[in-house]
Amino acid sequence: MASTSRRDFLRAAAGAAAGVALAKAPAYAQKRELTFLSWNHFVPASDEELRRQAEVFGKQAGVTVRVDTIAHLQLPAKWAAEAQSRSGHDIVHITGAAPWLYEKSLLDVSDFIDEMGKKYGGWYPFSQESAYTDAGWRGIPWFWISFPATYNEAHFRKAGLKTPKTWDELLRHGTILKKQGNPVGIPISHCADANTTFWSVLWSYGGKVVEADGKTPAINADQTAQVIEWYKELYRDAMEPEVLSWDDASNNRFILSGKGSWIHNPISPYNAAIARKMPIADDINHHTSPAGPGGTHSAPPIQTLGIWNFSKHADLAKEFLRFHFSKENFDQWIMASNAFNHPPLRDLADHPIWAKNPKFAMLPGEAEFAHPRGWPAKPNAAVSLIDVNYILPDMVAKAIAGMPTKRAMTWAEDQVKLAVQGKLETKGKS
Amino acid sequence: MAVGQRALEAAGFARPGRLGRVRQWCEQEHVFGYGLILPALLLIVCLVAYPFGMAIYFSLSDYWVGSPGEFIGLENFRQIFRNEVFHRTVYNSFVFTSIAVVLKAVLGVWLAMLLFRTFRFKRLIRGAVLLPWVIPTALSTLAWWWMFDSLYSVVNWTGIRLGLIEAPGPNWLGMTSYAMAAVIAVNVWRGLPFFAIIVLAGLVSIPREYYEAAEVDGAGSWARFRHVTLPLLKPVLAVVILFSTIFTFADFNIVQVLTRGGPVNSTHLFATLAYQTGLVGGNLGQGAAISLFLFPMLAAVVFLQLRYIRRE
Repeated sequence: MASTSRRDFLRAAAGAAAGVALAKAPAYAQKRELTFLSWNHFVPASDEELRRQAEVFGKQAGVTVRVDTIAHLQLPAKWAAEAQSRSGHDIVHITGAAPWLYEKSLLDVSDFIDEMGKKYGGWYPFSQESAYTDAGWRGIPWFWISFPATYNEAHFRKAGLKTPKTWDELLRHGTILKKQGNPVGIPISHCADANTTFWSVLWSYGGKVVEADGKTPAINADQTAQVIEWYKELYRDAMEPEVLSWDDASNNRFILSGKGSWIHNPISPYNAAIARKMPIADDINHHTSPAGPGGTHSAPPIQTLGIWNFSKHADLAKEFLRFHFSKENFDQWIMASNAFNHPPLRDLADHPIWAKNPKFAMLPGEAEFAHPRGWPAKPNAAVSLIDVNYILPDMVAKAIAGMPTKRAMTWAEDQVKLAVQGKLETKGKS
Repeated sequence: MAVGQRALEAAGFARPGRLGRVRQWCEQEHVFGYGLILPALLLIVCLVAYPFGMAIYFSLSDYWVGSPGEFIGLENFRQIFRNEVFHRTVYNSFVFTSIAVVLKAVLGVWLAMLLFRTFRFKRLIRGAVLLPWVIPTALSTLAWWWMFDSLYSVVNWTGIRLGLIEAPGPNWLGMTSYAMAAVIAVNVWRGLPFFAIIVLAGLVSIPREYYEAAEVDGAGSWARFRHVTLPLLKPVLAVVILFSTIFTFADFNIVQVLTRGGPVNSTHLFATLAYQTGLVGGNLGQGAAISLFLFPMLAAVVFLQLRYIRRE
């Protein structure tokens, strides 16, 4: 009841605003305007390139394309407001559970997905996991950010070690490297990287946090116990206590300081070393995220695009996205982001920026085993709550501080139960 | 007023025009008085009362970011009470506030006594003491965060060089008790000038004669402090402690910048937990419920202290 009246009000307000706008319209015919909402990219040049493409497309099509960018934390509130008032931008940058939450407000983009999939050798598997709802494709995977292992070649050479293929091997190598004075580092603290690595390790050991239904806790299991034991040993034998206080930039500093030998992180430390002309850049290299008994898995950030079904320019929006997803433009956009934006389509990943640099060559392939958080469940609000409350790293930290593993898991299970109860929307609304 | 009007008319003045009548109406005491209060009242209604009402409404509903919720009564509060992280937050808040306020009060009085003396560059130093209070908290806390950094801690480096602590030194923000100590230390550092300056103002207002009389009676410096300074400072101290308790209880910046509530929620305060749950996690209903816990506790503090001040 309340929501209907509010929606009506917003509609009326929007109508009134449009009326005012019309009244003020100059004599010549107004150009059609396509609008695109995105976040302020961490690499600003990426937004600049997107705006350039918008301008070129606009000139070709005889329309105006406006790209609005806002702080990434504000995006969820903006989606909500636009979906509720059924007005706003045409194309929106969405993440996480948004394709499910706004299933009924987002346009079915299956045709676009099919077309691009055929053109560029198919979408990576995570695409379907992050944008295909029961109603069909409600989002277009846009880009993702690889989360490989970053290591110091010199330290590994000195210890006579090859890069670890498995998490178990990392523990053994790390023990040797720590004795050499070059520990490894995985944050076990309140930071985003701590979550990302934990998901990766848990999946590699065959574990999961919630069942595929997205509601039943599955964390209190033998696989989790194995992971906690692994973390405890890694902490004791291969890491320093500092990992308990790390933030997202600490592991970057750790490897750039020359002390650390191995971290699990995007390629930012290497890029920073190159940009600041630090000699350590020569020693830093990357390798594929380690595997476990359950295979290799990774939980990188995944970004998606949606077109509102109330957009009056849906066809134009697809037309612009076709233009943006052309090989030439997408390549340009990847270049502008300095290889930060990884493509969700196989052939687009075949880009000189990765192919030419042997230290980057393996990065796009990491997409083969990437999943959205919560997998095998669909992304939902509970999963993001588990992440933002740092339940997973806290569980590990408790065990490291001396709490019996079983009890730490029970604690985490209670926390997961709190996250999944109540109104947990896994279906679309508005 | 009416009498004045009649008198004016009797004296041959014409009735004022429309503008004049409006002006007359405005100048009535009950209209003019409320008119003066109105802007402030509007501000309070828009920026305090409305958000407060919304917070109460949110806390009783199942409201997620982008998903208006239904009324669910006290369910959010029930869930919070069941949550171990919330229990920990309540405990943290009391530990944090009580230790920080006591330290600030003791050190604040001490600092004020020192500043009260006459010494060279008195004005300059009195001004400089205010700096921690003036610098934006988020900025100064970043500096502290860097000092407590696990890899580059200046605190540990200095301590080790001076032989006060053994290498490699404590992991300030990674161990529960050290992290709490770090957060309290920064809060005390930041809040101290507020105490010192206001207590200093209180000291200045104590008449010299009392001290002279006490000295004549043979009171030493400790006795003068106990029997003259402290009793006369009491009202000022009570007000400062009241304010400081409120600020400290509701602190957000310091914890958010230094630890984000970690390690393992051992430094979470109401404000940081509410932020994490409501704004970052999107569960606005529960976030609002957590932040509302501040209200009864602070109301109790205010009530007790104000009663004490009035009795004084």
